[in-house]
Amino acid sequence: MDFYFGLAQLVGVHTLLGLSAYIVLLTGQVSLAQAGFFAVGAYTAGMLTVLAGWHLVPALGVSALVSAATACAVGFPALRIKGLMLVVATLAFGEGVRLFFFNFDYQIAKGEVKVGPLGGEGFRQIRFFPEHGWSTLEVMLFIWCFVLLVMALLWWIDRSRYGAALRAVGEDELAAQAVGLNLTAIKVSAMTLGGGIAGIGGGLYAHYTTHIEHSSFNILVATFALAYPIVGGLQSVFGTVVAVIFVQAFLIEGLRDLGDWRNLLFGALIVLAMNLRPRGFLDARTLASLKRVFGGGPRA
Amino acid sequence: MLLDLLQNTIDGAAAGASYALLAVGFTLIFGVLRRVNLSYGPAVMIGCYAATWLHLNFQSGLIVLALAAVAGTVLAGAYVERLCFAPHRSGSAIAAMVASFALWMQFEELATLVLPRHVYAFPLLHEGAPVEFLGLSLRPDALAVLGVAAILCALLQGLLHRTRFGLAVRATIENPHAASLAGIDPGRIFVLIFALASAIGGIAGFLIVATHGQVTPMLGMWATLKGLLAMMLGGLGSLRGAIVGALVLGQIEAHSQWFLGPQWRDLVAYLLLFALLAANPSWMTRWTISRSAS
Amino acid sequence: MAPLLEVRDLVTAYGKIEALRGVSLAVQEGSITCLLGPNGAGKTTLMFSIAGILRPRRGSIRLGARDITGRAPHVIVAAGIALVPENRLVFANMSVLENLRAGAYQRRGGAEIESDIERLMLRFPRLRERAAQNAGTLSGGEQQMLAVARALMSRPRLLLMDEPSLGLAPLVVEEIFRIIAELHRDGTTILLVEQNAHLALQVAQHFYLIEQGKVSFSGSPGALAEDEVIRRAYLGSAAR
Repeated sequence: MDFYFGLAQLVGVHTLLGLSAYIVLLTGQVSLAQAGFFAVGAYTAGMLTVLAGWHLVPALGVSALVSAATACAVGFPALRIKGLMLVVATLAFGEGVRLFFFNFDYQIAKGEVKVGPLGGEGFRQIRFFPEHGWSTLEVMLFIWCFVLLVMALLWWIDRSRYGAALRAVGEDELAAQAVGLNLTAIKVSAMTLGGGIAGIGGGLYAHYTTHIEHSSFNILVATFALAYPIVGGLQSVFGTVVAVIFVQAFLIEGLRDLGDWRNLLFGALIVLAMNLRPRGFLDARTLASLKRVFGGGPRA
Repeated sequence: MLLDLLQNTIDGAAAGASYALLAVGFTLIFGVLRRVNLSYGPAVMIGCYAATWLHLNFQSGLIVLALAAVAGTVLAGAYVERLCFAPHRSGSAIAAMVASFALWMQFEELATLVLPRHVYAFPLLHEGAPVEFLGLSLRPDALAVLGVAAILCALLQGLLHRTRFGLAVRATIENPHAASLAGIDPGRIFVLIFALASAIGGIAGFLIVATHGQVTPMLGMWATLKGLLAMMLGGLGSLRGAIVGALVLGQIEAHSQWFLGPQWRDLVAYLLLFALLAANPSWMTRWTISRSAS
Repeated sequence: MAPLLEVRDLVTAYGKIEALRGVSLAVQEGSITCLLGPNGAGKTTLMFSIAGILRPRRGSIRLGARDITGRAPHVIVAAGIALVPENRLVFANMSVLENLRAGAYQRRGGAEIESDIERLMLRFPRLRERAAQNAGTLSGGEQQMLAVARALMSRPRLLLMDEPSLGLAPLVVEEIFRIIAELHRDGTTILLVEQNAHLALQVAQHFYLIEQGKVSFSGSPGALAEDEVIRRAYLGSAAR
């Protein structure tokens, strides 16, 4: 069973990563900076529990705040650019964050060993879960509490006036501006919220793997974050979850038996998915028919 | 001190020359398709792996290896074009980008399936010590890279501005609809440009591995990042800009490596690019105003 | 006499909305045929369908003996139809000369192309003055002339012109229509979309009125001027 709990942990953390990109994408911003916010959250939470000896929950709160603040700082300059410029600017930012942690040393002696981030060596011994004797199941449930919380929040946002404003900006900025929406507030707040979600995801990620290093936050992770909502579709938060399960549980773990050929098939299936459903698994039409079948639509 | 600065400038120019070829390939693809091709670097990596495979199994000469790198990159590029870009020509730019990312994963897997070690040695363009000249050390292979890059850029400039094909390419870059009204088939131009950009990438990849003397699967990511970075630094709008951006990137890297240390080299380049994009000087927006990438 | 262009029961749709709901018309060789109609009636959609930019859902388009329905734009240019679009679509970052050469992309034979350019420069003296300038620096009227000249470079059997007078000063409009008349004298077949019926009456031999995706009137200039409803809507009630 532990294998499946472990897998569920992974799916949970990646769902948070995907949702952080989802809300930013709603406003039409294609960001490759999510891996950077994820890294900031991971290092922040890890340092708070390992170096400062905090409990994980407040550490996650702080990591969400720090990542959100970072994202907010990126959100303002990002306002002025779009399209490829934004993709590359956020990519440059994400890689900048990764290289920062590649050079980041902050170790203190704890007993006879030194702990803390050590540049290219990474940050080892983030042992909050084993030290407190949490089982894999408990860790999994803990992670999914946050996932469900964030999903509920985004699901609610989608149904609120704020959510409508996010989508309006994503559809047509000029029109959104013309009807009096505040572009700055909407785009920056989406980026900030996305950063906060990525921060929580990063903090959880650092603790369940117990060891993070700069390469855990490279452009591949950034692209995965973006791929989930795109593959899943931007109509609903559930699309992102479906995509994470499809990619992580089915394509990566499920195809593990194929051994070396896994990624070849992985690539082919993603390409196939994008060609068959360029608007994602759960596009508007699929959602509408699902709602008909389930009478009023699935409730979160 | 002055000598060191000069030496850095020379080293940076050699690195910049290879970036220039990657950036030119990226610019061509982005120019006609308005799509980000994340698989550009990985396709170059596949070309280099094809050459490495020939080297390991048949000890082929450098010319054959160069041809193999070009052929491999063009084949991989054609695969990317058919699967990621032909189906999304008028549709979602970001779906095409995600699809090209998926092929990147495929290419890395393919490379490690065929040649499973992490690093392979690649024959050097020039064996032996650098030439000493007035206290500067000049690597003949680096000079060869500079020369080849200069010649290729000049040829490309001629192709685009002096031929019928070049006219069609520039018309398509400006507006594919207008080009089709003038009797140009934009679909055909897209395919040809993809092949041309891939061939240039193959040459760049060969020159890079033949000066570094080694090949790893990381080359794919490296080439994509360097190409994108150089293209954006140059202001995203012209081949000339891409070349200038690449040379600037080479200089930034060489000098920041000297003054700040090798571990800060890439960071400086990324932060500078982020700052430039965020400041959004008008020369960086020429293509993105009317039809943004996504 | 068989018409040069024959459109039959053409239906073109954007998604579920049918912009053309069964349009039939014919253009005689050597004539100027004019499409009138209110905004949104489907005139530009019809032009785009003939030029291959939009794919019709049903119906057929024939150029002479050849069926060109649903072919790609560059194939249709090669078949002998050139469109001057409403927004001109000149290549702004290319010189005037390069724009003209791009228009001849389908043709072989450099010497003949150069002599065609020479002839067009005589017809459009403004373009000669600006030959080396980027098309983006031209005025609206000059861009319109360049768009016409670029279309002529493909030596079309049929020239489609979508609202060539749109957004131009009256003097420039007059010049454009003088050129249209000249082209007609030289034997060029033209299908023209024009909102200004007074101008169109001066040059066209046949009219079609398109309303809500259908042809609601077809006839000669005389018949057009006699039709009370059309007079009121398109010529103004105080028509001559």
